[in-house]
Amino acid sequence: MSATENASIGDFAAELVHKALHAGASAAQAQTTATRHLEMQFDNRGVNLARSTENEISSLTVFLDGKRGGATLNGRASDAVEAAIAAALAAAGAGVADDANDVAAAESLAPSRHGPEAPDRAAMAAGVDAFLDQIADRHPLVRTRDCLQSFDEFDAAFANSRGLRQRERRSRYGFSALFMAKDGLRTTSMNYLGLSAFSPFDDPFRCPALERLLHETTRSLDKKPVPQKFEGDVIVTPECLSSLVGPIVSALSGAALFAGTTPYKESRGHAIASPLFSLSNAPRDAEAPGGADFDGYGVPTQNLEIIEKGLLKDYLVDFFFSKKLGVPQTAGANRFVVAPGETPLSEIIAKTKRGIVFSRFSGGNPTSNLDFTGIAKNSFYVEDGEIGYALEETMVSGNFQELLKNIHAVSQESVDFGWARYPFLAASGVTVSSK
Amino acid sequence: MLDRLSALAGRFASQGELRWHANVSTQISMRKGVLLANGQSRDSGVSARLFENGVYGFASAPRDDNETIAAVIAAARDNAESVTTRPRGRPIAPAPSVPGQGVFDYRSRKPAISAAERVAILASLDAALRRKFPNLVNVDLTLNANASEKALLTSDGARTYSYVPRAVLAVKMAVEANDGLVELYDAIGGFGEIQDQSFDAESLLPWLDELYEELRLKAEGGQCEAGSHDVVLDSELAGILAHEAIGHTCEGDLVLAGSVAGDRLGETVASEKITLGDYAQRGPDGGGTIAIHVDDEGTQCRDVTIIEKGVLKGFLHSRQTAAELDAEPTGNARAFSFSDEPLVRMRNTAILPGEDKRAEMIASIDRGYYLKRPSNGQADLTSEFMFGVCCGYEIRNGKLARAVRDTTISGVAFDMLKTVTHVGDDFSWSMPGGFCGKKQPIAVGTGGPSLKCKVTIGGRG
Repeated sequence: MSATENASIGDFAAELVHKALHAGASAAQAQTTATRHLEMQFDNRGVNLARSTENEISSLTVFLDGKRGGATLNGRASDAVEAAIAAALAAAGAGVADDANDVAAAESLAPSRHGPEAPDRAAMAAGVDAFLDQIADRHPLVRTRDCLQSFDEFDAAFANSRGLRQRERRSRYGFSALFMAKDGLRTTSMNYLGLSAFSPFDDPFRCPALERLLHETTRSLDKKPVPQKFEGDVIVTPECLSSLVGPIVSALSGAALFAGTTPYKESRGHAIASPLFSLSNAPRDAEAPGGADFDGYGVPTQNLEIIEKGLLKDYLVDFFFSKKLGVPQTAGANRFVVAPGETPLSEIIAKTKRGIVFSRFSGGNPTSNLDFTGIAKNSFYVEDGEIGYALEETMVSGNFQELLKNIHAVSQESVDFGWARYPFLAASGVTVSSK
Repeated sequence: MLDRLSALAGRFASQGELRWHANVSTQISMRKGVLLANGQSRDSGVSARLFENGVYGFASAPRDDNETIAAVIAAARDNAESVTTRPRGRPIAPAPSVPGQGVFDYRSRKPAISAAERVAILASLDAALRRKFPNLVNVDLTLNANASEKALLTSDGARTYSYVPRAVLAVKMAVEANDGLVELYDAIGGFGEIQDQSFDAESLLPWLDELYEELRLKAEGGQCEAGSHDVVLDSELAGILAHEAIGHTCEGDLVLAGSVAGDRLGETVASEKITLGDYAQRGPDGGGTIAIHVDDEGTQCRDVTIIEKGVLKGFLHSRQTAAELDAEPTGNARAFSFSDEPLVRMRNTAILPGEDKRAEMIASIDRGYYLKRPSNGQADLTSEFMFGVCCGYEIRNGKLARAVRDTTISGVAFDMLKTVTHVGDDFSWSMPGGFCGKKQPIAVGTGGPSLKCKVTIGGRG
């Protein structure tokens, strides 16, 4: 084994930078991430796959007279390393010069360690048993597929030609389940829950969302369309909100500001949502398995209030776009949190005159103006404060700008997915229709 | 590599596969003339999968020396033996299949183009677009090329090597309309490497001119009226319909999970004008956007007729799902990377062409829509599907009228396909860079002709 193959990942990342400079780069950065993954895959009938993988991926970015090029490789074979350096330099040589192309100058953090040292396989196996036992006892019509008990370890090292060095080790457990209900010829839509945590999911039902979703799945065997098109309320579940936050934060990103395609380009300091709504980015929360200490430029991440009581406090601008737009960097890694409110979910439902519990959005990509249209999956009709029947072939249409402003309640209850935390939201002004 | 794998295959104590697999990709993206991505990546390694005690054990590592290969085989066996909780109560061994053999190397015979030439493609298109159409608020251009290279050996005698490339050029443009920004996206390319495509500015400018004109009309257009409508789906949408709405419901693992298709084999589920299949190699016309001859379990791939003249005929199988559903493996077990296990996946999925003319379909509708280009799509085990539509037109009195803004269409495929009255003679492969997501991404091909049918359209109108 050569010295390169035996080097620590920190030294290997630094060596990539050194080699790139030696080959002619004016600046360079490299991140090397070693990963290990262990999973037990199971369905109602038991475990069908035990899988372990390992990998080591290095991303090299080189700069040449204001131009940038990159190459990613895995492993440390010397011919692959040389080829990656040559490819990155060739790409940079062919690139377009831009003042924003540069390596970062930032504080090197002390190496960090988050999460357990090794997987507790017995606890993971106990989690399989607990899940399947309770499915069989309490949800006999539910069928599961590709459920996972998993453990992931990441060991990431960063180096750049300004001497910036970072190192972070992070490990976490994962639990995910795909499920549906079937009774004779009646079949429901698939539903899904994905969680991560520093402790094993030896009983996944400790997350109350799982029982709620399984109960709703069986109830969805009896479904029908809404009687006629109407404009009403949506009670957005935490699981549904996780898919709606993406288009909203994308519209608040440096990339969208640069493109000029966001409706929020002149909105900092202005009210863009109901005063009940607060959204933050919290990658540095110590308790969060889905966080990150530094970003792809080696810059330490920071927690950020994006929307506070409806006011847009800041955009999500990464290192490149901060230089491109001439504004401070505010983002680099994402873990979004919507603050819980003061209203019990039961009260939100009780006060809903007509609307739907909006549990999953299966829709087209929202427009740059944030118009959206799609199917309300795993969702329920609500009338006069009562949750009624499950919906089928029901579409929802609206606009996220309006929806944020029309939020009139945020629940006390929230779901901590590990990679994000969201409550239930109630908003008005969404069009609901069936065929 | 095949010879090295062969030398180590004797270490299999039970049924298994040994795969060396490399994914190589190039990505360049440009926004308003600024390069946001400009690089390439390579991810390679070996994996082993064994079937023991009713359970698959899988392991992988990012190296390919003999010591690593031996360790990966041992780790896969250890993983299978580690399952002491809830191994399947009634282990069913994977069904036997015809072992695939052969070398299927689709690398280009033309010289590779340089990094400078790749960037020049985007730079010249960006400059031409922004010079010709100064009112564009934004222009995004991306050039992606990827290739999957594999050597596979199984304990049942499969022995194969493949190299399958794809290259795609995509453009998204935005203009300001009276009520905000309007965008339009399209992509071209498909099977082959960048040098196999016609990505020079001279060839592409007519396509971009047409795309801009469609964007201009869309900016002046209106919202769709929500509800059930007669529509003509362009062949671009027929391909995604075949994949999302039918293909997924007929994947063997999803049939076992409870897909509605599982209850309907042999039943009429579509108009008798509909014949739909999932095709091996490069599809029935040899023009599919992927090539597959042997799957990642070593099964020789064969065509699967899913719907024949409206009747549900068959499902897509791995060796495991074939065993559990008393069928034959079809060669649909595919893995995305060296560290992924094979899953039941589609290949080139398409509705076969008919004899009708699209112009006649449009002429036959008094009030409806011609839906031209999809943006994304999802499906469900109920066969309920959803597609985003980013380009379409109203049909009024048998003629195309004003353009419509982005919308979403939906339906229950096994109901909707019965409403098909016309199947076009204009077959094409669509979504040239299409990837499907299901635990892992995988490259897929989708194709079809124009269809006249009835769907539900979403919207606030």
